[in-house]
Amino acid sequence: MSPGLSYVVVRSHAMMADLLTPEQMRALADGESLEVFVEQLVDTPYGEISIATDGDTSIALEKVFYQKFIERMKGIVDLAPTEVGDFLLSYYYLRFEVINLKRIIRGKYSSIPTSQIVESIIPITPYKVESYEEIMEGETFQEAVRRLEGTPYESLISSLALSEKYDALWPVEIALSYLSAREIFKSLERLPQSDRGLVRRIVQAEADVENFLVAAKQRSSRESAHSPEEMFPATFGIGLDILSEVMASDDLRTVIQGLNPPYNEILAPLYEGDVALIRSRLRQHIYDIAKRGRAVDDFGFNVVMAYLIFSEIEKDDLVGIAWGKTQGIAAEDILKYLAIPFFI
Amino acid sequence: MSATTGVRPTKGYLMEMKRRIGFIERGTEFLKLKRDHLAKELTASIDILKGRRSRLLEELRVAYRSVTAAYISLGPTEVQSQAKSIKTRLELEVLPRSVMGVRYPYIKVEKEPQITGELDITLSEAAEKVLSVLDDILQLAEYESRAERIADELGKTNRKVNALENTIIPSYRGIIKFIQDKLDEESLEELVRMKLIGGALARRRG
Repeated sequence: MSPGLSYVVVRSHAMMADLLTPEQMRALADGESLEVFVEQLVDTPYGEISIATDGDTSIALEKVFYQKFIERMKGIVDLAPTEVGDFLLSYYYLRFEVINLKRIIRGKYSSIPTSQIVESIIPITPYKVESYEEIMEGETFQEAVRRLEGTPYESLISSLALSEKYDALWPVEIALSYLSAREIFKSLERLPQSDRGLVRRIVQAEADVENFLVAAKQRSSRESAHSPEEMFPATFGIGLDILSEVMASDDLRTVIQGLNPPYNEILAPLYEGDVALIRSRLRQHIYDIAKRGRAVDDFGFNVVMAYLIFSEIEKDDLVGIAWGKTQGIAAEDILKYLAIPFFI
Repeated sequence: MSATTGVRPTKGYLMEMKRRIGFIERGTEFLKLKRDHLAKELTASIDILKGRRSRLLEELRVAYRSVTAAYISLGPTEVQSQAKSIKTRLELEVLPRSVMGVRYPYIKVEKEPQITGELDITLSEAAEKVLSVLDDILQLAEYESRAERIADELGKTNRKVNALENTIIPSYRGIIKFIQDKLDEESLEELVRMKLIGGALARRRG
């Protein structure tokens, strides 16, 4: 273990104290109203939050939580030794950049004003592209994609043909997700062998669940049946044969029950009728992986990763609570979809 | 002021009054027919609406739960970004329709949104649930508006029929009776006068 890494590990241990506990998260979800939620946040590391009265409050709060997470992540990246820092940059910045690119391309596809696209962008400095504004300047979504030429995303340009063939965005979105997963795996190689397991397990679980959901969704539009190879360029624990079976199946219950743990449990809401629960179960699973990873090696890279994973899931849960409180949703209906209070 | 004030007790006026009351009575019959037809239409609309709103509210509750779950799970910005990527939006045309002269709006769905292609499965499920109740919402809105306007017109028609049957027609009948009585009285006076003159002439000759 390099001295640089040990310092980040110690810092991560210290900063772990800043994270909200499952009990605190539950108390936030249980709060009566948005005002109570914001008041409760004052006693947490989020401190006092001032929200502009004009515009969407939940989106303003979402930005605050994203900002906090980005600050935390930057704090770790700045301290980390080069190889760990490079990996973390790639893992987080690349994922956020991919989300931003998807939002820009979607915006261009539906011809919404640039100002609205800018509003939806996660506030990070561009990672592999020069600037987001330059891509947004493209008149059409095709032009926006073509503006990625010369960047690591230029392979997306080849997915345009498929996108035009089906008059849909999914080929570009799938190509972006694939590119993101491939880049993350590539950047994993910068880490020592012993540190790769945790991230690999997380990325694979995410990709497998995402692939399964895309396959399940395709069942309803079977008339445009696309080939599984076209749709799933990267598969891990759930192979192409299972995904093909999902696309052809009328009974998902049998397919899901035949999967190995944890997938059979994570994906069960698909036939139980509450699809949104899948993502909260996936987050719970990732949280659990990070927790176990940290327990295995309390003085290694796993601690850094666990801190960032906990922090990201905290952000997702807070975004959910903020939206629920803005809409006056009952606490039990919010809690159902959160990951952290599950660990009380 | 009495209904007979200003009435000219002439045969011409009597004929005019009889023509008018005939017209009014025919109009009343038509209004009664309209009232019965509107009542039938209203009953049919209410039968269709019966229990529909509560069923729809339950379906909407389920759809709203799915939308809520999608928002909590994906976050509001992502949901809005994905929702905006739907190219074909819902397009409606509101056209006027009429039953017994009562105009009500008829909603024609020009284009339904295509929701399968671009959305995350969570959002796609929520959108499908909302879309499945959309037809019911439109139909309910149409029938509720139809029932409301028919009920309103039924009330007005009923008031008109009652006014005609209980006030206008009796007052016309009163006028006709008054003129007839006057004319009878005048012809009796005329007869007596003729008799008296006839008697006087006979006495003078004799």
